[in-house]
Amino acid sequence: MTLTGTLPLLRTHRYGSLLSVTGWVAVTVTLVVVLLSLLAPVLAPYDPDFVDLSSVLGGPSSAHLLGTDALGRDMLSRLMFGGRTSLVGPLIVVAASTVLGLLLGLAAGWTDGWISRILTRVFDLLFAFPALLLAMLAIAIFGKGLIAPILAMTISYIPYVARLTQQLVVAERSRPYVQAYRVLGFRTPWVVLGRVMPNLVPTVGAQSTLNFGYVLADLAALSFIGLGIQPPTSDWGAMIEEARGALLGGHVLPAFLPALVVVLIVVSINVIGEELSDRIGGKLS
Amino acid sequence: MSKLLEIDQFTLHFPGRGALLNEVSLHVDDGEAVALVGESGSGKSLTTRAALGLFPETSRLSGSVKVQGLDTTSAPAAKLLQLRRNRASMIFQDPRAGINPVRTVGDFLTETLVRWRGLSREESVERAITQLEQVGLRRTKEMMRQYPHQLSGGMLQRVMIAAALLDSPELLLCDEPTTALDVTTQAGILELLREQQQARAMGMLFITHDLNLAASLCDRVYVLRKGEVVEHGAACDVFLSPQADYTRQLVGATPRIELDKVPTAPAADGTMPLLSVKGLGRRYELPGGEMLTALNDATFTLAPGGSLGVVGESGSGKSTLARMIVALETADEGELAINGRVRAPRPLRARERKLLAKDVQIVFQDPYLSLDPRIAVGKAVADVFRLHQGQGRADAVQSARELLERVGIGPERFESKPRALSGGQRQRVAIAKALAARPKLLVLDEATSALDVSVQAQVLELVEEVREQLGLTILFVTHDLAVVSRLCAELLVLQQGQIVEQGPTAKILSAPTSDYTRTLLDSRPRALWEEQPA
Repeated sequence: MTLTGTLPLLRTHRYGSLLSVTGWVAVTVTLVVVLLSLLAPVLAPYDPDFVDLSSVLGGPSSAHLLGTDALGRDMLSRLMFGGRTSLVGPLIVVAASTVLGLLLGLAAGWTDGWISRILTRVFDLLFAFPALLLAMLAIAIFGKGLIAPILAMTISYIPYVARLTQQLVVAERSRPYVQAYRVLGFRTPWVVLGRVMPNLVPTVGAQSTLNFGYVLADLAALSFIGLGIQPPTSDWGAMIEEARGALLGGHVLPAFLPALVVVLIVVSINVIGEELSDRIGGKLS
Repeated sequence: MSKLLEIDQFTLHFPGRGALLNEVSLHVDDGEAVALVGESGSGKSLTTRAALGLFPETSRLSGSVKVQGLDTTSAPAAKLLQLRRNRASMIFQDPRAGINPVRTVGDFLTETLVRWRGLSREESVERAITQLEQVGLRRTKEMMRQYPHQLSGGMLQRVMIAAALLDSPELLLCDEPTTALDVTTQAGILELLREQQQARAMGMLFITHDLNLAASLCDRVYVLRKGEVVEHGAACDVFLSPQADYTRQLVGATPRIELDKVPTAPAADGTMPLLSVKGLGRRYELPGGEMLTALNDATFTLAPGGSLGVVGESGSGKSTLARMIVALETADEGELAINGRVRAPRPLRARERKLLAKDVQIVFQDPYLSLDPRIAVGKAVADVFRLHQGQGRADAVQSARELLERVGIGPERFESKPRALSGGQRQRVAIAKALAARPKLLVLDEATSALDVSVQAQVLELVEEVREQLGLTILFVTHDLAVVSRLCAELLVLQQGQIVEQGPTAKILSAPTSDYTRTLLDSRPRALWEEQPA
């Protein structure tokens, strides 16, 4: 399984600690963003949808820490509330694709016959479809909103989890400890679900963490092209799209801030996922 | 005499952790063969690497490691490169790990000659071919165009030796160069090393865990334990009258064939054999569509309470046989019956497997892979009691505790994960797990070959003990005749899927009838002071 690589200069592992300094920074960034989004109803200074045409496209001030957008809405509040929709989508996609991918991967990896062959081909087929394309297809059928993209993304991210699981299972089932379970007469479902699967969860979890970043970026892109979350619900991708006009007028912040948040969180989650899979990979070998 | 390699009070440690090597002093003179003997973790590889100036990162050093006067602990990188290129060579345990798999043997051998010696392509090829012939390889011109995967492990190790000798080194460092090889192949490599070392008057430092090997090759010996030299001296003195407790223990634990200690089979009383194998065969299809016969027409029986050793080299079909007995593989032909029940010639159903589990269990070779890494050892054993003895959770835990204690795992280890245990302890747990099913037949597939000799001796003792106490029948699969001679009353010798000899162990070892068994016996390393076979 090839995973995207982080820059070598980001590798500053210290012996014994779970993550490097960079890793902990990434965790902090992620936690801050998640907490601010979760607590938006309590912490946000304004209603995210409150239009104040008297302070349109205002720069940062004491009243509006991060300024206002083209409709005079408070940027900070919109970013915080936007996080709720922007993070929930990937969370559902990752949870669903992990569970389904694990089960399908176990089935494909454990069996030798036609089940394994069919599943492997299906994974290949899904790999060939870009996630975004599948999502657009689903939107064309089911209409805009959050449901169709989440469904499509889940389906397109299943093979990432499933194929990794399949490879791990194939390696695992020839291990002596698994063969010992067979010789001892334990039933296959017990061995596979109760004993082998838990051993794969850390590695698969690391892959899913990486997926979270990609899904978030993909969903933001869908919102940006107007196929995802519909206005006025705040969403980072949609915010960038809405700020295009202001950008042409020389107002950078309304587009730049949501883009920055997306980049920050995607990079952070990638770093965490990379380091986790590195650590786990190192421990397993 | 000048000192070729002189290690003086050499200490290596990592900050905050104990010393891995503690004031190690040893020397190798010109033209002398010296053995460095120790078990895993003793620091023998670290010591050898130090001679080439290879130190683990972030380690702290003190003392000196001098090769012809050059101190590798402080020498500049350029000097060290020169040392490695011209004066010292090293041979490793796994020849495949040391050679680029996508380049030919010829590329591998000529690269350094062209780059560092400034020889022309033709000269290098010629030198390489001569060298390959010197190490006893044939069809060398062809071999130059072959890739590593086309050569056997033994041939490849000869290629590695040729590569090491190309530099005409004065010091040859050998790090367990024959451990991964079959005993007959090992014999050839040892002879080659001995011959080249004497012909070239090279100094040689030979690292091994095997006392017999050290004695067969070297004049002087250092015994290393936990980073300290506990004894050194002439090989025959050290082995025949060891002074240090540890050396004594090591010598005692080293398996050797002693005919008067071979167990004898109980007299045949006409009872039904526990295991009966008739014309058993197994073939595999190779990637090219060719068929490989892993086992052919194997026929033998094993009486209840008996002990059978199955001996062979890699590819002899011994593991295939073991795996078929425990139904991890299905035979292509022939009949296999355990306890009178004839095995159906197909993969077993869940219910059949559970029944079979009460008849036969297996212990695998690798102690690091045989246990589920996530499950505490007590629970692992208790699970088996719950499945097979129908015990409730509390009873199963109690039974597991008793059984583990019986195999030498104390209650303080009950909640430990396998990674917290040593190799020997893991193998004890694996044995306990197998015994918890209360099988009649226990198959041990090279179950002690991954262990250090002293640990191996203890585990063998345990096997003997439970065999007697529980009246178990044992089938021991191994490459090591000495191990079998201690444990098994009967013997079966396999060569390339064929049984070439079977019968009482004592009889076969004292008067083998097949050439192959004789070769196996003769290939066992013999101490220099013992009489060499004619």
